[in-house]
Amino acid sequence: MTWTAVVLLTIGTAGLRLLGMFALGPVLGRRPLLARAADLLPAAVVAALVAQLTFATAGSLVIDARAGGLVVAGVLVWRRAPFVVVVIAAAAATAVLRAL
Amino acid sequence: MEPSTPGRADLATLGLTYFAVGVTVTVALVDRGVSTAIILTAALVVYSATSELAFLAVHDAGGGLAAGVLGGWLVSSRFGLLATSLNRRFGGSTLLRAAAALNAFDPNVALAVQQPDEPSVRRVYWRTTAALLVGWWTGTAAGLLLGNVVSDSARWGLDAVFPAALLAIIGGLLRRRDGLAAAIVGAVVCLSLVPVAPAGLPILASVVGVVIALAVERR
Repeated sequence: MTWTAVVLLTIGTAGLRLLGMFALGPVLGRRPLLARAADLLPAAVVAALVAQLTFATAGSLVIDARAGGLVVAGVLVWRRAPFVVVVIAAAAATAVLRAL
Repeated sequence: MEPSTPGRADLATLGLTYFAVGVTVTVALVDRGVSTAIILTAALVVYSATSELAFLAVHDAGGGLAAGVLGGWLVSSRFGLLATSLNRRFGGSTLLRAAAALNAFDPNVALAVQQPDEPSVRRVYWRTTAALLVGWWTGTAAGLLLGNVVSDSARWGLDAVFPAALLAIIGGLLRRRDGLAAAIVGAVVCLSLVPVAPAGLPILASVVGVVIALAVERR
């Protein structure tokens, strides 16, 4: 990563964050249906990120130890386990599966 | 985690999660011979672990500067979407909302928008932001200090920490039928595009999940 890359990446990350808040946000707030869509955005976007972090490696789909960690996390979230338990159990499950 | 009141233990866990994220990104950069000055600057201003990792992934695959930056932008476009959902709920002055937008990450927005009113949205937002920043900076520092010692962070299951934490954070939304629909469709759309689309685009395409979810009852 070079200085040029840092500058260009920053323009994107800062710009897109501000664009969402001040350009796209007010438009979505105008109608109840779009407002509900805005509320649902984190569910879709974060779930997609979770899926990609778990099942993707450099542009291909894989099922490995990370999937085991996610299953453990999913069950614990569903059972309303404390946040710290979810995170540590998922890391431990992944590490154990990987060590097998 | 119960979205209504992220308590001290929850905030500490969030800090721990971002510690792991900070270590992971920094070690990846150190491994590639990136200077400490650049690593620290990027942590401060690029301010997005996934953006930096996307850039590195494209770079590793032989992509040029433009392709790498585009990957980073596409990945961080989700912060724009998240800031969009924050806009309606945050209130406050323009300056305050600009500061909030620039600090938009996945957990702080996802937790804040699940709050019932503007004051609690803002309170939860800044508390979670503080927690993840403490983790992010200590993780970055630890990554710089330990460098190659922990180069195999995957061995410790650190790569499972971030997704597990994110899943817990949207737990409240997953208990709503429309939230669950948005999440499942978003994840499936994303994964189906991973093999064919450039980095970041699959996550952006997850908004399809929202469109489908609007047809589902909230209950």
